[in-house]
Amino acid sequence: MKAVWQLWLQPWKRMPVLAALVSLMWLAAMGMYLFSVDSEVDLNAAALGLIAFGSWFWHIGQGQILRELCRPESFLMPDFLRRLTWTAAIDAAQWVLLPALLSGLLGLPHAWLIAAALLCVAALGLVSSQGRRAGLLIWPIFIVAGWKPELAVAALHIALQSPLTAPLLLLVAVLILHLSLRPLLRIDDRDIETSPLESMSLDRSNNIGGTPPPRGALSKRLVGLFDRTSQRALDLALRSYRQQPGARQRLTLIRRLLLPHDNPLAIALRLTWVAAFVTIYFFAAIHRQHFNAAVVGAYATLLTLGRFPQLGRGMQRIRPNLADLYLTLAPTTHAQYQKTLADALLILVPISVLSAVAYTLLGIALTHAAEPVRMLMTTIIVTSAASLVALAVHLIGPESTLGRTLANIVVILGAMASYWGGYWLIGALGYVFGGGLVAIIALSFGLSVWFAGQREYQRRKPSFDAPMA
Amino acid sequence: MPAELPIAIAAPNAAPALDGMPVLRVDALSKSFEKRQVLQAIDWSVPAGRVIGLLGRNGAGKTTLLRCLLGLSPIDSGQIELFGEPMIEPGGERMHRVGFVPQSFDLFPWMKVRAYLDFTAAFYARWDHALTARLLDSWQLDPRQKIGQLSQGQRQKLAIVRAIAPQPDLLVLDEPVASLDPQARRAFMAELLELTRRPGKTVIFSTHITADLERADADIALLRDGRIQFTRPLAELRECMHRVILSRAEGWLEVPPIAGMLKANIKGHEAQLLVEHPDIENLQALAVQLNASLRIETPTLEDLFVELA
Repeated sequence: MKAVWQLWLQPWKRMPVLAALVSLMWLAAMGMYLFSVDSEVDLNAAALGLIAFGSWFWHIGQGQILRELCRPESFLMPDFLRRLTWTAAIDAAQWVLLPALLSGLLGLPHAWLIAAALLCVAALGLVSSQGRRAGLLIWPIFIVAGWKPELAVAALHIALQSPLTAPLLLLVAVLILHLSLRPLLRIDDRDIETSPLESMSLDRSNNIGGTPPPRGALSKRLVGLFDRTSQRALDLALRSYRQQPGARQRLTLIRRLLLPHDNPLAIALRLTWVAAFVTIYFFAAIHRQHFNAAVVGAYATLLTLGRFPQLGRGMQRIRPNLADLYLTLAPTTHAQYQKTLADALLILVPISVLSAVAYTLLGIALTHAAEPVRMLMTTIIVTSAASLVALAVHLIGPESTLGRTLANIVVILGAMASYWGGYWLIGALGYVFGGGLVAIIALSFGLSVWFAGQREYQRRKPSFDAPMA
Repeated sequence: MPAELPIAIAAPNAAPALDGMPVLRVDALSKSFEKRQVLQAIDWSVPAGRVIGLLGRNGAGKTTLLRCLLGLSPIDSGQIELFGEPMIEPGGERMHRVGFVPQSFDLFPWMKVRAYLDFTAAFYARWDHALTARLLDSWQLDPRQKIGQLSQGQRQKLAIVRAIAPQPDLLVLDEPVASLDPQARRAFMAELLELTRRPGKTVIFSTHITADLERADADIALLRDGRIQFTRPLAELRECMHRVILSRAEGWLEVPPIAGMLKANIKGHEAQLLVEHPDIENLQALAVQLNASLRIETPTLEDLFVELA
């Protein structure tokens, strides 16, 4: 049992805050159940909701820990799988069986259904942390609920009465668990890592501890496609540099090295790929009541800004590799080298703006937005400024995870506030005055932050030390 | 494609197994990465109670072979038997008997050394806590430090502690000393030799530091062209392999034909030949016939590796 205990302890060691919060939620739910025994106030349903909410977060964390733990070497530990199964059984008892049993004992109907639904929630939490597309299985429910809310409610009532619902939910849970756990428990050759500065939007999840998430066949094919575009772009850049070895060609070459998937073909491919998912999102969200079409631009800005936190993490992880680049470039001064890097990364700003524009256009087309020009204008101005700020922040920003997370939150909240403020101002003052005013305020702020950030980055000495854990 | 070695290959398990059964048996093992074939129908058998030094050039497939043997990398075809049972996936009681030091230890960087060892120890029936404490102390590993903060050499030390502590019957070491300083390497070799003195302990040891294999008196297995070319005791290799040097003032246009010749180099006035089981009388007669002086040397393991790998 020592090994099972050690496995059970992992969330507490790895994610103590999450573990503590979620355990408090679990304890509060148990308290509600106990309170309901002697009280006339029925808190059973609230307790169940709390359990479901906590279970979702807990299993997202558990999924991340499993991803870190289930490496081929771990399977050399005796009975690793059996002990993992025991830990899963304890987990299921805590988050599924006990709450379902208490709900049943305290008079809530459909105990089996509750158990199956809680298992589904746990499975969805697990799959959400895996970067697996099985996590998208939840989307059809939202789409149907968005399109036909009355139908969804009627279906829910019928489902509650049907004896088939519980086994069906159980089957769905098992399917999701199978899809999420199978790649983790399968011993496979490790995927080759991409550049740490690369956008993670393809895998829909971050590398954990430098370990790329296990990829499915489709992901592998996609990555292969991206790699081919990178190779082609590098070949072109090399040819161009050999023909005319100027500063611009050199910068392109450095970009091809650091940001291999940010060549024109790969950008087009990524836009298409993300657009497909955005379309699904719109199909899910468009039929909701009180849907605000202007949210499309804000969402597009949010989506493109998601690239920069990965850049911040990647800039730390790539440090040891940059020593080689430093020696290759042989700069006269540290500042010159830092400037070269900053200039190379500046390409991310137009790429972000282009992406935001593309997503906004797609959104406009899908939602038949009433004021497309206003949305586009706001998106272009705000994304340009926000990208400059985000790039500067991640070049010189805090090293710690907490500090970076806080900086990200500030940047994203600031960008969202700017978007809505800008959108309102353009609406109130018109395209020329409103747009001009927003552009002056946002861009002057963005450029000021960028130039200050760039200056600070150049002032700093380059670091080639591997980041600490 | 280099030619096959014209060597009289001894039976794969030349050294007798202690209990009559090899610890590890491999039949027709093949493995490729995409279109690159790394291991080609390998047949290999590792007897119990021996130290096997797995030699091969960079990219020969040593790491891949070791990972396949332990089920850490899926194979394309073939069969592997570990402790007499098919190794389809790592599992079962036999895992208590296996220790592994990977080439690079990049596991669990967020864990502290003590927490990691406690975590791992919980899985094993035989975990030598005294040995762990002694090695942590003598190898100056701070149990309170996070693995991610350790240097590469310190991580390798930790991986060795982790692999030895369960007192494994089979210890698989993938270039374990590559990042160690000389003191640590010597200390590690002392521990390894101590381990191999116990009956029935088998070590498979991939390394480029041939002096370590000489110290451990290992059987040498050479991996080349995706195959194990031979597995032979070091003493036997030393006994049968000799460097024959024929020297004459006018030099050599072509290599003189000698029975058992494995490799030949012409360097200035000298023809340097690696010969298996050289017949001294015939060689002396040949030297007289060719008007050359004859010198016979016993090559070091490193020399043999350079010539054969």
